[in-house]
Amino acid sequence: MNVITDHLSEFGDGLLLTVELTLLALAGALVAGVAVAAMRVSPVRVLRAAGMAYVETLQNIPLLVWLVIAVFGLPEIGVMAGLFTSAVVVIALYQGAYMAEAIRSGINAVPAGQGEAARALGLTFVQSLRLVVLPQALRTAIQPLGTIAIMTLMNTAMAAAVGVVELTATANRVNLAEARPIYIFVTAGLLYMALSAVFGLVTGALERKLAILR
Amino acid sequence: MVRFPAGMRRAAVAAVAALTLTSLAACGDSSDPAVPGAGGGKTDDLLAAAPVAAAADIPAGSTMAKIKERGELLVGGSLDAPLLSQENPVSGEIEGLDADFGRLLAKYIIGEPKVKIVNAASETREALISNGTVDVVLQTYSITPERAEKVAFAGPYYSSGLVVATKADETGIKTPADLNGKTVIAGANTPAIPAIEKAAPDAKIVTFGSDPECVQALKQGRGVAYVQDQAVLLATAKQDTSIKIQGEPFTSDPYGIGLKHDDEQFKKFVNDWLRKIQESGLWAKVWKNSIGTVVEGEAPEPPAIGSVPGS
Repeated sequence: MNVITDHLSEFGDGLLLTVELTLLALAGALVAGVAVAAMRVSPVRVLRAAGMAYVETLQNIPLLVWLVIAVFGLPEIGVMAGLFTSAVVVIALYQGAYMAEAIRSGINAVPAGQGEAARALGLTFVQSLRLVVLPQALRTAIQPLGTIAIMTLMNTAMAAAVGVVELTATANRVNLAEARPIYIFVTAGLLYMALSAVFGLVTGALERKLAILR
Repeated sequence: MVRFPAGMRRAAVAAVAALTLTSLAACGDSSDPAVPGAGGGKTDDLLAAAPVAAAADIPAGSTMAKIKERGELLVGGSLDAPLLSQENPVSGEIEGLDADFGRLLAKYIIGEPKVKIVNAASETREALISNGTVDVVLQTYSITPERAEKVAFAGPYYSSGLVVATKADETGIKTPADLNGKTVIAGANTPAIPAIEKAAPDAKIVTFGSDPECVQALKQGRGVAYVQDQAVLLATAKQDTSIKIQGEPFTSDPYGIGLKHDDEQFKKFVNDWLRKIQESGLWAKVWKNSIGTVVEGEAPEPPAIGSVPGS
């Protein structure tokens, strides 16, 4: 087990970066997801089309391709951001597409009468969405959103390919020095499992607290 | 280019073999235009001159005997390493130093240069050897004592080293110590990472998965320098004049042939073969045929077998 204890600080740094990457990307993804889901249910045709185009484009190209485009492609047209920033933005936008679909399913689960009642009371579309529909939609979609959160965590490993030294890249580097792949990658795997267990527990707790029984 | 059926190709190889045997002493550099699928011409010359093990060297039940029976040597290697082991998209042949050594070893064991390359990654080599997916690994596999606990190394068969590449107009970086305080690009999972940490402890290291990505990152200014194996960088710098190599290698990086741990018989067999091709001058010809096409001058002295800890 020396291979792990000798490299505790590296694993710590890698784990921390994975957590930072996940939380920042999740925050961004939630914002993007809500915005795109709202566009997809809006009464404005152009917005609906734009929302759909966003989801289809982001979902149908692999994350790794997006990362490579952002890191190696954008500098060619003069847009160059740091590696960590690029990774956060790309993962957030990518996971945002999945979030949007989960939230849209939540919106569709809210009985139509709720929206109609809100409009009948004189709320605008944005008000009825914000005050009546979305709160219920998000509470309904907690479980799929939790799954997407775990998926976001797992997808941060892709950032290793574009030079972000998160947990997977750390494991690779330690293995390079120690050549003990089983110990090292099992350790990395256990750390990912521990993180996703936290996400699972949080999702479960939120669901028990907020779920709407119908 | 036309691909000929295997039978015709083999016949042509035999013909060239006969030609070369007579002319080898006079000029080792025969590139006969009659060779079909030319380009492999020089490699064919090498193979024609390559030794084949005596039957007594391959006892029944040994690893060599199993390979001979199978009729194919399974080599863990790359398909994308210029000058070392790269698939030629036109001929489909795998070309380079490591690829040629693989063919020579196959000929030594089987009598024919039949090799199947299993694409290996630096993370999977130990596993591929220990679970028997490949017989040998020939993939710029640096011999280290840590790795030698998992696999056995025959050789070293080549000694390379790390060099520093920068943009062509960079003047401030002459030695590895000049990298202190700067951002340096390195390939993920390469020995460059610990070497930079040692030579320039204050350098910030950014890693990317493949060599082209690292070169791209250097050109885009994500780092001021790119540290990589000399053989790899020479090929790149030759193709791309916007980057240049600063100085000579600053590390010594012996490549070994990865074999199953605890198979002393096979290791001795491979080492004996390496000695034979070094003594016969075939080693120098393999070098000339690959790395020698971009490095000027004569082939270097091959490293002494077993001279490195772990080999």
